[in-house]
Amino acid sequence: MVRLSRWVVDGWAELGTRFLPFADAATPDLPLSRLLRLSLFQVSCGMAMVLLMGTLNRVMIVEMHVPAALVAVMVSLPIVFAPLRAVIGFRSDAHQSALGWKRVPFIWRGSMVQFGGFAIMPFALLVLAGAGQSSHYPAWIGQFSAGLAFLLVGAGVHTVQTVGLALATDLVPQEGRPKVVGLMYVMLLAGMIISALLFGGLLADYSPGRLVQVIQAAAVVTLVLNVIAVWKQEARKPLQAHTATASDDPDFAEAWALFKSGPDALRRLLIVGLGTAAFTMEDVLLEPYGGEILHMSVGDTTLLTATLSAGGLFGFGLASHVLGRGFDPFRMAGLGAMVGVPAFAAVILAAPLAAPVWFGVGVLLIGFGGGLFSHGTLTATMQAAPARQVGLALGAWGAMQATAAGLAVAFGGIAKDVYGALTDATQGYIFVYCLELLLLVVTIGAMAPLAGWRRTHHPPILQDQPTRRMT
Amino acid sequence: MATDKVGLTGLTEAESEELHRNLVQGTQFFGMIAALAHLLAYIYTPWLG
Repeated sequence: MVRLSRWVVDGWAELGTRFLPFADAATPDLPLSRLLRLSLFQVSCGMAMVLLMGTLNRVMIVEMHVPAALVAVMVSLPIVFAPLRAVIGFRSDAHQSALGWKRVPFIWRGSMVQFGGFAIMPFALLVLAGAGQSSHYPAWIGQFSAGLAFLLVGAGVHTVQTVGLALATDLVPQEGRPKVVGLMYVMLLAGMIISALLFGGLLADYSPGRLVQVIQAAAVVTLVLNVIAVWKQEARKPLQAHTATASDDPDFAEAWALFKSGPDALRRLLIVGLGTAAFTMEDVLLEPYGGEILHMSVGDTTLLTATLSAGGLFGFGLASHVLGRGFDPFRMAGLGAMVGVPAFAAVILAAPLAAPVWFGVGVLLIGFGGGLFSHGTLTATMQAAPARQVGLALGAWGAMQATAAGLAVAFGGIAKDVYGALTDATQGYIFVYCLELLLLVVTIGAMAPLAGWRRTHHPPILQDQPTRRMT
Repeated sequence: MATDKVGLTGLTEAESEELHRNLVQGTQFFGMIAALAHLLAYIYTPWLG
């Protein structure tokens, strides 16, 4: 009887983890509740990204009548901090703390900076738009403070995300990392989707007071989520008295040189940049392509974003599952790039065939391929990161990824406009999609020697920390 | 580390100093942000005007 009930209880327990996505990311040392809690920092990052890139972008142009060019400059300001992710990651690796924390101080400061940016942002935007009495004051006040607000939020997001991912890498043993990467990506996506819906609903009837409420609420939510996320996560490892001083502490140049000497470190970074650019250049072009060229309705084009996300979710899920069984993450990223080739071909062919269905399938596959690619490269980065350089490795990955994505989106928009003006509108879109196809082919070419298409054995990963078995 | 425990919190002097440094820095940062936010709010809608 006891054995029977034991069996039933075990059955229930197994059922729980089987039907709860990513529940198997947890390990005995690190229960799922703690992992889910940690991943809340991704929700706050996703929220900030949506607010900056989506909601405010629209509100500033449509409701506040700020010139579109000025909005574009403001919104793209945070990208100047993206390359600094490598430095932030390095600083957290080398952080000397009497309290024995490497990551927590940085996540705290990052959250604080992000909070500060959101705190001044609504007033800065209102002054930028010349609302109220602010038109009596010189225009540079609004431009300067709005720029500062966007920079602060951007710096905060870059810091929190880089150091947060480094903390996740510290906490999770090697075998569990693919699942954690999947969880982190899904939470980022969830944060973006939920906050996009919320912001859209809250700002539907716009008023300056409502803008202040929404943005400052985002500030408070950021701080609350990030504090909950890191609360008691990082074990304190106090310095060995005062022996570990700055002498054995490499500066950034030395650390970078060491990191660069890792197996194919630079080639991996280059691949991350190329592939990310290939998968994100169409980001702002999909909806207008559907509407302008394929004559889809507004409702249908909005569905495109959902289709892209669905593809991405499926990609993250599949990648977590397969990589969790020991599949080589770089090969997974390569497969993602290969999925992207027919995806972009379908998107391109949709115009001459006038077939929106092909377009939909293409978008789904772009999401799927992009999901596999980003999951694969991030997992590979985590697994290849030497224990003392986790922050630097993830910072370098994030720097490359964020810079490439930002530049690619900007370049995609400009290239489509310029080439479209030279020929016709359809050709402008097709030009960008072809460019992405080309980038994907180059990415696959650059990956070929790494992913070991012919070898079955992956070169040993540089790791100097003992791996624990996941039970 | 156990040599120089101070106070009821169980933090050593170095640890308390670090905590305090973070507190001071945080207060300074929030003070500046608050001042800037008030300045911008005044520019937008002056009070006592």
